[in-house]
Amino acid sequence: MPSREGTYGLLAEFDNPSDLVRAATQARQDGWRRLDCYTPYPVEEAAEAIGFHRNRVPLITLIGGLMGLAAMFSMETWISVIAYPVNIGGRPLYSWPAFVVPAYEWTILWAGLSAAFGMLALNGLPQLYHPLFNAPNFRDGATTDKFFLCLEALDPKFDLVESRRYLETLSPTSVVEVDY
Amino acid sequence: MAHDTHGSSHAKALPSDLSAPAFVDGWRSRAIIVAAVAGVVAVILALLGQSQDHLGWEHFMRAWMLGLTFTMGWSVGGLALLMVQYCSGGKWGLLLRRPLEAAAKGLWVVFAYWAVSLLFIKHLYQWAMYTSVAATAEALKNGLISEAQAHCLDFKRPMLNPTTYFIVMLLCFAIWGLYTWRLRSLGLQRDRQSLDTTPYWIKKLENISGPGIVVYSLTMTAAVLYWVMSMDVTWFSSVYGLLFLVGEGYSVLALSIMTSISLSKAEPFRTVLRTTEQHDLGKFTFAFVMLNIYLAFGQFLIIWSGNLPEEINWYLDRIRGHWGIIITLDFIFHWVIPFSLLLSRDIKRDKKRMIRVCQWMIFAKAFDLFWLIEPNFKDAARNLHFSWGILEYIALPVAMASLWVAYYSHNLKARPLVQTNDPHVVEILEPEHVHA
Repeated sequence: MPSREGTYGLLAEFDNPSDLVRAATQARQDGWRRLDCYTPYPVEEAAEAIGFHRNRVPLITLIGGLMGLAAMFSMETWISVIAYPVNIGGRPLYSWPAFVVPAYEWTILWAGLSAAFGMLALNGLPQLYHPLFNAPNFRDGATTDKFFLCLEALDPKFDLVESRRYLETLSPTSVVEVDY
Repeated sequence: MAHDTHGSSHAKALPSDLSAPAFVDGWRSRAIIVAAVAGVVAVILALLGQSQDHLGWEHFMRAWMLGLTFTMGWSVGGLALLMVQYCSGGKWGLLLRRPLEAAAKGLWVVFAYWAVSLLFIKHLYQWAMYTSVAATAEALKNGLISEAQAHCLDFKRPMLNPTTYFIVMLLCFAIWGLYTWRLRSLGLQRDRQSLDTTPYWIKKLENISGPGIVVYSLTMTAAVLYWVMSMDVTWFSSVYGLLFLVGEGYSVLALSIMTSISLSKAEPFRTVLRTTEQHDLGKFTFAFVMLNIYLAFGQFLIIWSGNLPEEINWYLDRIRGHWGIIITLDFIFHWVIPFSLLLSRDIKRDKKRMIRVCQWMIFAKAFDLFWLIEPNFKDAARNLHFSWGILEYIALPVAMASLWVAYYSHNLKARPLVQTNDPHVVEILEPEHVHA
């Protein structure tokens, strides 16, 4: 568990995504690793700028989808062939074309649910408290029209005075210190 | 570090020369060479086939109809997608509009192919062979056609007869030609005007394109009913037109995306084609892949469940006698493979791999048409077997499509590739993170 006292990090505010991406790229280049970007809408380049790496959500989705497919198809086969073998219009008991549609629907359903819950499991949501909301400018702007870069205190390079000076060279509109 | 704080400072500028890069000429000459070689091979195969089982020229004609239907899909489907673009708007228009306009203009080539096909409809279509009740009765007596076929021929004669066919097809081509010409001339007119006329043009083109899409659906359905479905007079399916409509979207998107990515090796498309839009187009294509199999499988499932003697034979002709291999491959080729590949975000965003997917989809569509066309004929129904004539389905469509592509490349060179008074030009020149 990280320390829950003291400084969480330094928060720099930008007016537009271009400046944020530029600043984030620079910070990562200068060796910062514990840093994060906050934007009102998804900015993929910002994620790339701070070294966003691949996650396992696609894999979880794929496995979920295949499981749904296998589950439904085998359930239908079991029902029609073994549990309740009923002659319907002389068709074979194992009538796979009729099984395809529900099996496909379950693939979609399981893939969708796996993606949603896999995402939640991996990204740590729902989160009831985050220190950044202590910063008034973050509360007001993060979901509307402001772009933020946060250098976190956990980074070994972090120093309250030096880091603030460093952030100011990236020409943000403001830099504030955020406490836990 | 001194930084400019405005996002627009990152925006790129359009290159001064907006005409198609020189290598498009290379595409054209390469296509002409391929067309010539494949054409010669097609004739040789027809002669070989003729000496083998007397069906060499028959296969030539069948393959011709495949080539005709396929290139029609590019031209008329291109026109339709252009109209969809005019109705929907959006940045993808900047990337696909010129390729689609060039494809639509290929209608001339398609018309020529069709005109040639008139020479041999009497060999391909029973409704052109037996044009009266007496002729059908005679053929039935001689065992040339089945009772069901005789019945259908007589019953469907108001639509399936050479005169109606000729008139309907001329009308279809006239309508497609009219739309192609109108949209092209309006496009040229628009190019000469300034950006502030945009609202007028959006409305104007929308008003033409909206009804145009409906007219396209009807005329295209008529064309494929005559060209492909009526090879078997007994069969019918109400989803047939829609199936081809989606299929055309499938192959046209593949062609135009491939064109647009290939053009991006040089200016002006190097500047204009961003990963975001390529990714979006990939998703759009994915939707067509999905809808295509949805309709194809839906049709199969309904007919399979009904199991009626009027309908099921069409599928049995295409499943039994080793055709099961072809239908399985068809399913894998034109759904499993593009579906699995297009699921991947990386592939959709990668230029080289996206081109490969598009090439594959074009091949898969032609393969699907082979499965639709060849089993209509007595010698092939429920009896997949090798003959020299079968290879005609590779040689002749390749020749016809290449010739079409040569004209398409020629058309691409005709106009600047980027429409400078499109309101989205500013947006597409900005870095990708500026817009949500």
